[in-house]
Amino acid sequence: MNDSSASRRRYLAGLGTAVTAGLAGCGSLLGGDGTPTGTDTGDEEDPDVGQIGSGREGREAPGGTPIAELPDLSGELDVYSGRGEALVGPLFSELEDIYPDFSVRPRYDGSTDLVNRILTEGSNAAADVFYSVNAGALGALAAEGRTLELPERVTSVVPDAYQDAEGRWIGTSGRARTIPYNTDRYDESDIPTDVLAFPDDADLAGSTGWAPVYGSFQAFVTAMRVLNDRETTLSWLNGMQDAGVQQYGDEFAIAQAIADGELGAGFANHYYTLRVLDARPDAPLDIAFTEGDAGAIFNVAGASVVDTAGEDRELAENFVRHLLSAEAQEYFATTTFEYPMIPGVEPVQPGSIDLPTIDQLNPPEGLDLSQLADLGPTLEVMREAGLNV
Amino acid sequence: MATSDLTAVFDRDAEGSRPVALTLLSGALAALFLSPLVWVVANALDADGALELLTAPTTVEVFVNSGFLVAGVTLGSLVVGVPAAYLTVRTDMPFKRPLTVLLAMPLVIPSYIGAFAFVSAFGPRGTVQDFLVPLGVESLPSIYGLAGTVLVLTLYTYPYVFLTTRAALKSMDTTLVDAARTLGLGRREAFRRVTLPQIRPAIAAGALLVALYALSDFGTPSVMRYSVFTSVIYSVYGDVLGGGRDLAAMLSLQLVVVTTVILAIESRVRGSGVTAESPNARATPLRLGRWRYVAVGACLFVAALAMAVPLGVLTNWLLVAGSPTNSALAFEFGYVTNSVAVAAAAALFAGLAALPIAYLAARSDRTLPSLFERASYVGYAVPGVVMGLALVYFGARYGGDLYRNGLILLPLLVFAYVVRFLPQAVGSSRASVEQVSGRLPEAARTLGRSPTEAFRDVTLPLVAPGVAAGAALVFLTTMKELPATLMLRPAGFDTLVTRVWTAYESGYVGQAALPAFVLLFVSALSMLLILRMEGYDVE
Repeated sequence: MNDSSASRRRYLAGLGTAVTAGLAGCGSLLGGDGTPTGTDTGDEEDPDVGQIGSGREGREAPGGTPIAELPDLSGELDVYSGRGEALVGPLFSELEDIYPDFSVRPRYDGSTDLVNRILTEGSNAAADVFYSVNAGALGALAAEGRTLELPERVTSVVPDAYQDAEGRWIGTSGRARTIPYNTDRYDESDIPTDVLAFPDDADLAGSTGWAPVYGSFQAFVTAMRVLNDRETTLSWLNGMQDAGVQQYGDEFAIAQAIADGELGAGFANHYYTLRVLDARPDAPLDIAFTEGDAGAIFNVAGASVVDTAGEDRELAENFVRHLLSAEAQEYFATTTFEYPMIPGVEPVQPGSIDLPTIDQLNPPEGLDLSQLADLGPTLEVMREAGLNV
Repeated sequence: MATSDLTAVFDRDAEGSRPVALTLLSGALAALFLSPLVWVVANALDADGALELLTAPTTVEVFVNSGFLVAGVTLGSLVVGVPAAYLTVRTDMPFKRPLTVLLAMPLVIPSYIGAFAFVSAFGPRGTVQDFLVPLGVESLPSIYGLAGTVLVLTLYTYPYVFLTTRAALKSMDTTLVDAARTLGLGRREAFRRVTLPQIRPAIAAGALLVALYALSDFGTPSVMRYSVFTSVIYSVYGDVLGGGRDLAAMLSLQLVVVTTVILAIESRVRGSGVTAESPNARATPLRLGRWRYVAVGACLFVAALAMAVPLGVLTNWLLVAGSPTNSALAFEFGYVTNSVAVAAAAALFAGLAALPIAYLAARSDRTLPSLFERASYVGYAVPGVVMGLALVYFGARYGGDLYRNGLILLPLLVFAYVVRFLPQAVGSSRASVEQVSGRLPEAARTLGRSPTEAFRDVTLPLVAPGVAAGAALVFLTTMKELPATLMLRPAGFDTLVTRVWTAYESGYVGQAALPAFVLLFVSALSMLLILRMEGYDVE
């Protein structure tokens, strides 16, 4: 035990060095050179150690609580992850390297698939933690009564707006709804600041894109249904179709189509634009925001402790707390370009983009993210508008 | 081993009586494969608002869309598959061996990868469009919608028709054709009146597989932006709080109902077939004369269209792999062995299960065996996601700790594959059994062989190519299966196709291309083995 904690201290010291040094000029998203993370050799000079949080060139050391100050993790944890292995796999491995007695058994699938799976498995689900890409799936699992209340030591870290009021789930990183647009065709002032004005905007007609089957878009329509009403939503959907909106399968494709000039503008989560710009810094692409309406909702990826955690409950809670550590938050900001959930870690802005910080955003008042789980009526109104969802 | 047990079951067959043991075995197998549907039905009964959903205008619209898609793809596969099979078996076309291999190859490409490839090549501002702009072509006809979806699905499913038809042509009794020709029938007339009745069951079996694939496929229509019934299933499934699982189950039952209609059509079209007295007789091939090169060109065109586009796009992905790589996505050889192991297990069990079901259905004119055989097709129409959930339910409910720690997941996964893809083995097994005349084992009996020996030495060798080909189809299809694999794999168990998915959905296309290429390569090797198998070789 002494041995491992001594080596852990050395490891963390190395990690801290890496964070403050900020491995400069890394081409890879992980900040490494593509080599797998070495196991802990106790060598403080090993540049491969501690890729997490070693982010991008010129980043300040992140604020928040570092892993070194959090309770140790030990035991085996079953995580049902709707977030992709490419993103969270390295993070899990990193935690396993830091804590020799800790291991994660991840099961990766779509977030909704995993909720359906937990519900189907009933009391024999293997899940300790459910990790989701959106609040809708978290809210659904909570509404079905399959989550345990998170302790104050976890919930106190994140602003109230980004977690469930009853502590049944918590946001771990955020994504803003945006209007990506092609800068060769429009100025920012050409993009309406009211989402309801889009169908009647003659400038945009025939050159906007949306992805009706994509979860984040359906969350946006759900928000419109909740904030405005069903009729407004129906006429907005119909109006957009009358204005010749183009249909896409996902929002990354929309951001790319706008960069290519195939579209003029569209509806997409903020990080798709950042990902395109990260790969193509000169693309004629920027983002605009609507103000205080459904088009400006701020959704989160997050986690909950599943009611089948049993004796792993405390481990599960501590694990979720680790997702909110300084290093993990820095990792999300620098790899997926998401918004960190804790004050003190800034979002990343590749290219020439001027991304507002979390407190400069203008999300709608009076929307509880848990309400985004109510998808049924949304699908109905979308079908009534003739969309095949 | 298993073969001798199986042959014992066929014991009294040669004496013309219907063996009870065989019927019981088929019935038990059919019941086993229908068991996941119990969950589907039970959930469907819980569905609220089902009637509103079923009669909603968009539901009716996608239902009609599905109908058009199934009809279009089935027709397309017949138009491509049957002539291609005839050319490669019964004519003097040059390069028959390589062409056969090429024509069968599109089956190794997952149709959703084909769809991605066609969209990125022929979509608006796709590669081909960019190439044509300087030539004054402003816009290509849209690849999206019904026509594009039919084109893509046809290109990747016609091999079902091609392979089943080839197998029938190869084991066909060609002396009948010669007899018809001696009686003064023209080539065309002889084909219509002698050849076609003999191979019609096999064509119908292949077309049935194509139709049901087109009906239950979700990936391809969604990439091609053509809304079909599975699109709605996928959406309601996402509505967790609105009882999405129940509605998805209910809509899946709708697909099952449509499947029974398609099965009924197939029964009518199939005809009774003609049995062969002297299979594998060498017939004089049709001389094509100057048309030989046209035939070669046509075969090459189809295979090239199906293969070149995805290979080109995957290569492009590999080349742009200068884009970031991710250490979590590094390739491991274990993915190959995992893929091959589960696919081989599924193929083996599907082959073993198909033999008694197909044999009995082909040999008996009673209703029951035929029902068992039809029942084996039902699981094919249930989308993988719903089938996966059904097995998760049973596994979690009755598996206890074995389920929680993942020990029974692999057996469940293989079972899911067999339930979903058994028809591919049953179809071609049945077609091959139907071609073997009952008089052949009888002759062996009069020569003093026991019924088991007669089955083993006479019937089995004649039907083996069909059964093996069917099992091979199951192998290839299993290699490509994604939704049930994602849901039922144990933690840390990855196959080639799950790695393609993991890399693609995170935007690491370069790292998606590598497992995709390996998947195609391994499947292609298996395809070569299939085509080389005894009785299935290319002459």
